[in-house]
Amino acid sequence: MSTTPVIEVERLNVAYGDFHAVKDLSFQVRRGELYALLGTNGAGKTSALETIEGHRTATSGVVRVFGQRPGDRAAVRPRMGIMLQESGFSPDLTVRESVRLIGKLSRRVDHVDRVLDLVDLTGKAGTLVAQLSGGEKRRLDFATAVYGAPELIFLDEPTTGLDIQSRDGLWGVIDNLRTDGSTVVLTTHYLEEAQQRADRIGLMHQGTLRREGTVAELTRSLPAVISFSLPVSASAPTPALPLPLPTEPGDGDTLRIETLDLQRDLHTLLRWAHDHAVELRGLEAGPTRLDDVFRAVGTE
Amino acid sequence: MLSIAVSELTQLFRNRLVLVTSLIMPVVVSGFFIYQHESFAALGSLGYIAGVVVFTVGAFGLYATTVTTLASRRQNLFLKRLRSTTASDPQILAGLLTPATVIALLQVTGILTVLAVVSGQPANVPLLVAAVVATTTMLIGLGLATAGLTNSPEHAQVTTLPVSLGVIAVMSWVGISGTEELTLLKRLLPGGAATELVVDAWNGGVAVTDSLTLLAPTLGWVVVAVALAARLFRWEPRR
Repeated sequence: MSTTPVIEVERLNVAYGDFHAVKDLSFQVRRGELYALLGTNGAGKTSALETIEGHRTATSGVVRVFGQRPGDRAAVRPRMGIMLQESGFSPDLTVRESVRLIGKLSRRVDHVDRVLDLVDLTGKAGTLVAQLSGGEKRRLDFATAVYGAPELIFLDEPTTGLDIQSRDGLWGVIDNLRTDGSTVVLTTHYLEEAQQRADRIGLMHQGTLRREGTVAELTRSLPAVISFSLPVSASAPTPALPLPLPTEPGDGDTLRIETLDLQRDLHTLLRWAHDHAVELRGLEAGPTRLDDVFRAVGTE
Repeated sequence: MLSIAVSELTQLFRNRLVLVTSLIMPVVVSGFFIYQHESFAALGSLGYIAGVVVFTVGAFGLYATTVTTLASRRQNLFLKRLRSTTASDPQILAGLLTPATVIALLQVTGILTVLAVVSGQPANVPLLVAAVVATTTMLIGLGLATAGLTNSPEHAQVTTLPVSLGVIAVMSWVGISGTEELTLLKRLLPGGAATELVVDAWNGGVAVTDSLTLLAPTLGWVVVAVALAARLFRWEPRR
């Protein structure tokens, strides 16, 4: 992956009247990486993304895509594919006509049949858009975004409304494009997708970028959780035994241990359980998930 | 632009409602006026019937279609989709409006040709062409401006009424009563000078230089409409 930025955002502000949707946003997306821009509802990510795509004008700040103004469509758009959050196709055109029109206007070279095959819409080529299901419309949208294998692809909630097979198919196409060097900017509400796919993640809240980094970097600052419950026996009241680590109550009988060193503390707990012949019921331990980071940002 | 225009033409012919209200109805109304041309010529003149044709097709065909098309394409985010391509805003608008404009011009040409065959040639064809082009341009401009105030195709049925009925009323007033009285007012109203130009071009008897000055108020309305459109037109639905 190159360190050359494909997208450069410097102190971007987007305001609608008195409401500031994006405040002093700065980040870069490097060539070949998958950057996930995540955020709570109303965090400003759509405003930020649409400004970077060139659909919206910045109130202040600088946005460059391939070193150009994103509003310079003739220069920038042939190199970028955009999957919008909402469909935006005419209901009176067929699937084939829609892909052909947007593909031609993108000025990228490709074959409509090849692209329809990629998104499994070959059988719907002659169907009017009005007659497509929600998932099929998302796949049509995706087809126009990847038409001609653009260098940069914006995916705005790409898998919303897709069944698991379609999701896998979509990510398969993206993986192939990334192998060929495409850069991807993703927004999604499915955090596990971002956790699995993104090279770097930017977390927005209330118009500002609160965290940025790899999944490991983002989760490092928050404690991991070990949870379990102890059996209660009349002959040997196990809870009376001193636990080796400070605990706090979880749901029901569950106890929680928050730790910044999961391996060390889990080892301590297991050794204690072994030494005292205590069964740790429902034992669960795992690294901090992106959900936890997301929740922490949401409460700031 | 051509691929947008072709796609728009396809959509026009697949939408029966637009096809009937915008393409067939103006032709039917104009046909009625030609069929009854002797009665209407007695009321105004043959030039008045030509004016009826130009404004009926222009207002109920071109203008209404322009507003409905743009509102519809904006509502279903097709405009936003087109703006995510390399097409510039003027190219998108030109592509979307070219089919309806060409159809309207073909309709006017065909219907006026029938009128000429039935009732006799117009006195000044080039002047008539100038009048039709100026009127068409004005109505497209007003369509763009009105589209900015129109949220949906359904809403267009209401928002198009003031301009549609207004220019038809002005056309009838000027076409029937002439401009000897209240000359300035009649010429400054939208469609007033254009109607006088059509009537003069068809009936003759007025110096070309005098008629050409009538282009100024019509083009003035084009400037007003474009300025309003630049201020009012939206590419995406209000959130």
